[in-house]
Amino acid sequence: MTASSRHTILDRIRTATADDSNRYEDLPRSYIREGALQSQARLQLMTERLHEYGAEVMECTPADLATAIAHQLDLSGRHQFVVPERLPEEWLAKGFTWLVDQSLSNDQIEQCGGVMTAASAGVAESGTIVLHHGPTEGRRVISLLPDFHLCIIRASQIVETLPEYFARTPNPPRLATFISGPSATADIEMTRIKGVHGPRFLSAIIVRDDA
Amino acid sequence: MSGPIMDPRLAPPFPEAALPILQNTQLRNNVAHATDVIQAKRNRLVAEKKDWHELRTSASAIRAHVLANLAKYLEEFEANCTAAGGVVHWAKDASEARQIIIDILHEENATEVIKIKTMTSAEIQLNLALQATGITPIETDLAELILQLGEDEPSHIVVPALHVNRQQVREIFARQMDLPQLPDDPEALTAAARTYLRQKFLSVPTAISGANFLIAETGAVAIVESEGNGRMCLTLPRTLITLAGIEKVLPRFDDLEVMLQVLARSATGERLNPYNSLWSGVVPGDGPQRFHVVLLDNGRSEILGRKVERQTLQCIRCAACLNTCPVYRQTGGHAYGSPYAGPIGAILTPQLEHMRHAQSLPYASSLCGACYEVCPVKINIPEVLIDLRAKVVDQERLESKRLTDPMYLGMKAANFAFASASRFRMAQWFGKLGLRFFSDKDGWIRKLPSIGSRWTLSRDLPAMPDQTFRRWWAEREPERTREAKPEREARSKTEAR
Repeated sequence: MTASSRHTILDRIRTATADDSNRYEDLPRSYIREGALQSQARLQLMTERLHEYGAEVMECTPADLATAIAHQLDLSGRHQFVVPERLPEEWLAKGFTWLVDQSLSNDQIEQCGGVMTAASAGVAESGTIVLHHGPTEGRRVISLLPDFHLCIIRASQIVETLPEYFARTPNPPRLATFISGPSATADIEMTRIKGVHGPRFLSAIIVRDDA
Repeated sequence: MSGPIMDPRLAPPFPEAALPILQNTQLRNNVAHATDVIQAKRNRLVAEKKDWHELRTSASAIRAHVLANLAKYLEEFEANCTAAGGVVHWAKDASEARQIIIDILHEENATEVIKIKTMTSAEIQLNLALQATGITPIETDLAELILQLGEDEPSHIVVPALHVNRQQVREIFARQMDLPQLPDDPEALTAAARTYLRQKFLSVPTAISGANFLIAETGAVAIVESEGNGRMCLTLPRTLITLAGIEKVLPRFDDLEVMLQVLARSATGERLNPYNSLWSGVVPGDGPQRFHVVLLDNGRSEILGRKVERQTLQCIRCAACLNTCPVYRQTGGHAYGSPYAGPIGAILTPQLEHMRHAQSLPYASSLCGACYEVCPVKINIPEVLIDLRAKVVDQERLESKRLTDPMYLGMKAANFAFASASRFRMAQWFGKLGLRFFSDKDGWIRKLPSIGSRWTLSRDLPAMPDQTFRRWWAEREPERTREAKPEREARSKTEAR
């Protein structure tokens, strides 16, 4: 049934668009593609945006990362955390229970208080964290079911505008999740409520690898 | 509570459907509040964006380019999605799409299916068809859940339950989730939905989604959302079915840098919405291991072939045109008798119905142009509305029964009367005489019979004055000639100064 439908639909489309010619390369692109902020101002904007979403943000030097992680996890009041397979060993601070995701079941992940992942990129203008779900960001499910997400992002990964992220990603990822604030709804009387299904608490550590 | 009729084939004409809604103060308050809030947020975020107009220009050009090269991009999408492990199906119309989806679900032995909000599934009336074959659809978007449990219908493309307020949501949830003590604050109501759905997410192995964009270059699908119910449905089940209109494709991954920005700001007044998900086919070990895409035509290829109307398909379903429309803001969405309400619905619905139904919708507009002004992909909705009105009139003219059609006969009579001064004078005299029967004492006509009722349905008409303009002019003429001289002198003095 659908093989012939395919043929019919494509035929109809070709007939409808027969006289059109219009090159992709000629499309207008005069919007802002490069940010204008210096690195300090860019990180400040990222932090402000994340704060607007109610996320916790802290900065640290690469040397202090382990301490910063322990501090943020302490603040969360949780003890058990899922992590993707290939996070650096020194990130797994002592005093917490770590569940390394080697095909954990959904229930096991659901039972965990939180999750810690790296990030693939950040976009300051919209306070966006991008995950490509590689070995340091983990499978999609681990950053979805737990109620608390601690995300470690390097300053050098943060761009100012969304087009800069795309310019830096010449090979499109198989999977991507763009997170701009915690799960939210405004479906009831346009009142913004945090935390419908995704993690209700988002915490970010910006590692100053740019200094 | 029985829901409003959202099937364009069965729904009453817009003016008829709108009447009872205009009496419903509660609903109108809810709609006014919600549209005011979204508009204020949208306007603030559009104002802060320095390159808004450039983004709009690009978004519009990209969408127009896609439509002009649609076959090429669909084939490219199909090839790349298939290579990534997805299965692509093609559906000529709604019934074919329903059958494809039901067949897949039967193969999966599904008795339940979790759904991300998709207007396209409402367009093909999928839920009814699923229920008829013993499969229970479970809506997971908060607004859609409210509507499903309340046996109500969507009235907005982005916030489908904006016509329902917190007390009404509380009543629905308390009854359907058996929570008699549930308070009516949005936080508690949202938490109740979270608990209610969590078990469904973890246990139902099949899901259905729509698509915000299909990426030809990578075979990926993009879903834009706020709550995380989308991520749940895209990640946890074994099998995922995506239903997408054929117009949803974008050439490249990079094109999202334009589309995501204009969509979020226009739809919800956010810089980017909380979650965007992108996936290409099947990724081993991560998410659904069986993935189907159903590409739906259902009238779209026909729209593509019409010069003025083609732009209808540029739409990215942001609903900014609904929020700004003076008609939608009064009636809400149900009066449109279709899941697509507001200005975009007024042009899309009758075309999806091959102009055989919903012919009243192109008239459900004041042609003020506010929709065109806010549209992030620059669809000239008023232009399409006028063209569709012409098509509706052409249709009526072709009908053989026109000699008994009072509108046709009235227009013919008007044509005859307006063609000569003496006939026009006579018509005025008869008109005055005739309308006297319908005029109220205060000089207004509120109800006319027959064809005239089409006018008085939504407007009052001043009664014919005792003196017509022509008579007044004629009587004034000798007077004017007398006064003309001194007047002219006075004017020349003023000009000299």
